[in-house]
Amino acid sequence: MSLSIGEPIAGGQAARGWDELSIRFDDGMDLNKIRALLQEAKELGGSAGETVSAFNLVAIYFSPAAYDRAQAALEAAGRLHPCRLVVLIAEPHAEGDSVAARVSVVRSGGAVSLERVVLTAQGGGVRHLESALLGLLVPDLPVVIVWGGRPEGALLRRAVEMADRVIIDSGTRPPEALADVAAMVARGAPIGDLAWPRIFPWMSLAAEMLDVPNLREHRGNLRSARVICAGAIGAEGVLLAGWFASRVRKARVELLSGPEPDRDSAMPGAGDGTSITGWPSAAPLGRGQIVAFEFTAPPVTFTIRRDKAVLVAEVRGDDDGEVVNRMRLPPEAPGRLLGLELKLLAGQDELYAASVQAAVKLLPKSGS
Amino acid sequence: MPYTPEHDEVPNPLRHGLRADSAPEPCALVVFGASGDLAHRKLIPALYNLAVSAHLPAAFGVVGVSKSEYTHEQYQADLREAVGRFSRTKPIDEDLWRDFAAGLRYVPGAFDDDATFLRLAGTLEELDRARATRGNRLFYFATPPSTFPVLLRQLQKHGLIRPPGESRFTRVVIEKPFGRDLASARALNRMVLETMDERQVFRIDHYLGKETVQNLLVFRFGNTIFEPIWNRNYVDHVQITAAEELGIEGRARYYEEAGILRDMIQNHVLQLVCLTAMEAPVAFDADAVRDEKVKVLRAISPIEGVDAVAQRVVLGQYTAGQIAGNDVPGYQEEKEVAKGSRTPTFAAIQLNIDSWRWDGVPFYLRSGKRLPKRMTEIAIQFRKLPHALFGEGAAAPNTLIVRVQPEEGIALRFSAKVPGERYRPRTVSMDFRYGAAFAAASPEAYERLLLDALRGDQTLFTRKDEVEAAWKLVDGILKTTEAPDAPPPYPYEAGTWGPREADALLARGGRTWRRP
Repeated sequence: MSLSIGEPIAGGQAARGWDELSIRFDDGMDLNKIRALLQEAKELGGSAGETVSAFNLVAIYFSPAAYDRAQAALEAAGRLHPCRLVVLIAEPHAEGDSVAARVSVVRSGGAVSLERVVLTAQGGGVRHLESALLGLLVPDLPVVIVWGGRPEGALLRRAVEMADRVIIDSGTRPPEALADVAAMVARGAPIGDLAWPRIFPWMSLAAEMLDVPNLREHRGNLRSARVICAGAIGAEGVLLAGWFASRVRKARVELLSGPEPDRDSAMPGAGDGTSITGWPSAAPLGRGQIVAFEFTAPPVTFTIRRDKAVLVAEVRGDDDGEVVNRMRLPPEAPGRLLGLELKLLAGQDELYAASVQAAVKLLPKSGS
Repeated sequence: MPYTPEHDEVPNPLRHGLRADSAPEPCALVVFGASGDLAHRKLIPALYNLAVSAHLPAAFGVVGVSKSEYTHEQYQADLREAVGRFSRTKPIDEDLWRDFAAGLRYVPGAFDDDATFLRLAGTLEELDRARATRGNRLFYFATPPSTFPVLLRQLQKHGLIRPPGESRFTRVVIEKPFGRDLASARALNRMVLETMDERQVFRIDHYLGKETVQNLLVFRFGNTIFEPIWNRNYVDHVQITAAEELGIEGRARYYEEAGILRDMIQNHVLQLVCLTAMEAPVAFDADAVRDEKVKVLRAISPIEGVDAVAQRVVLGQYTAGQIAGNDVPGYQEEKEVAKGSRTPTFAAIQLNIDSWRWDGVPFYLRSGKRLPKRMTEIAIQFRKLPHALFGEGAAAPNTLIVRVQPEEGIALRFSAKVPGERYRPRTVSMDFRYGAAFAAASPEAYERLLLDALRGDQTLFTRKDEVEAAWKLVDGILKTTEAPDAPPPYPYEAGTWGPREADALLARGGRTWRRP
């Protein structure tokens, strides 16, 4: 076993707040030592003082690189929502049986608002992770798991069983993976999805169009909708279409792929299901992302199209045919989407559940 | 407030279940007093921050109106500088500012000049075309109350006020002070309501825009453990303190007319009393909340006549002293303050609320200028232990403190055993700090209130009967304290917690002021 003070992690906080302590176990684990280290980390700021926690945030990855990609987002979200962050990095195929723990705290207004414990297990050490996690959770508080792997498999099912909420990012996966998500949601799994807040601007702008006084009369006459994605149909486009279909059941809803984007920035993240960082910025447009959303209430057509970082809403066929609204897409900062999803700490987002169920029915049949 | 459909209207199927509140409808906001301090320091930075957080409708514009001569471009440049200085979010997003500034207009002119309002009407029509603001108007009176009648008259005369119920809305936001006594408040209400409906009137008290003040409702009515003890059976008394370090800061003309009773007690402090003492509303909507607040004001035992005022009110005026180590002048040495002025800069008041819940529980209010520090808090002092198990005086009564500003939060003081063999209790504090628990920056009070006004949500604005009930209470005190034969306010040294007589007010009940 070795004990050392590691390098501070960059994060724009006071250096003392980011001092990291680490410990390594080559044979078994001792949670008391990790807890003592956490206490020591709190006292590095002078005195331990108070700790504010609203929930346990657990992130599970299968490679250090995947965690590295997600780290900024996790910590930004953790600073916004005080919590104990427990990161499990499982490398079952690595050599050795060790478990390494790194702990640090962040202070906000004098109180500890983020406690962070990162456990990296290699080889046989991986078997310790699940029980270690249970011992490190703050009692009584909700457990939210950020899942950095495929939205399928036994491990995810176990995570779903123990968590009050499991947050995935279907935007980093092919849209067909939504079928697995929908199946879990149908069984009551409290799934949150970072692809969902990505489409909030589209949804709210569409809703706002029908709140405009002289356009309210068209609400009862919605007949069809289509979502156009750049280059290929992406999961967010499918979710948006599913949302509309779940709201307006009689409407005919289509998914189309439009021209390739000028600059192919691929799907958000690495496309391997490991990123939770979201888009690096609102622009440029990437392949699979939504470029336009149209819905009709004959003779009126409502169109929302993406013009770089701005959504432009237009109405055609109404007496007042004009641009009715513009909305700037929020600049993408690490942790923004996760922060939005963490507003709900337990249970299902009913609207998401209905939308994802409706969305999978719109997916092209395999082989077609 | 999210848009509420008319009874015969199809509900918006796309609105259902959306997590984000609806953005306000397109609108043009007209600021009267556009070159003034309030507009520069608070209103425009608040609007800019609403744009940053994507809470403003894209179809939005602002028209500034005042006597100062500016072009649209000069006004935009002037406001860019103000936003740079006073915005809570920095650095300024220049792209966003350009979008926002493209909707800024300026109309110079006197309020009693018809030409000003003809130009205003023309500018609003131009904004409707250029920014699709759709004829919706929010008029903000950031001007002295003496201008309200002429503004309302001119708006009416030039057809700028539309009745409620039309597809285009007209609303007016009125800054305090709303009147200077009950009679003038009633007259002002009458005049406002001759031209508008109560649903169109937003009387602003920026204290209600503060997060902690709103949290008081959540704390009381969103938890089960506090309400059962929030009454005369458990509470000994309540202390509400609203203290300022500052003096009158060059506002002598206003302050000589107002004094502490009009400046703080009638509005901010009584609002805190209402939120502390009110019953749970039947719903969280504007009228249900305000109904309960009005009931509190009506239940407060009037303080009228020389004897009642002498028993329950202490007024003070600061003399020269020191604040944070610096010498400061006395009130009467301030610029433009009359020698021998009897304007009170401090008030301590005992209120009794004649209700089932609060009978026999005094509410002590204290507010003043040039006190040792700037702070506002509500302290609920619970009753003493029925039996002193650990020795007389060993355990202080529990206190729950709601800190409104600064360091917004809630603290509970309770007894804990000092480590050791003997049972020796000591009072300790369990402290919840907003800033630590919610790292997201709180919006400024004006951001919240402007957004509510744009959305048409009146919950955090005061209603006609609420204003009048508050004035009725304060009027009773003013009639005695402003009578020609009334004694002058007690002097207190700047940097102290007010005159000694304020201590005597509590001492009569065997109590003392908290030292915040």
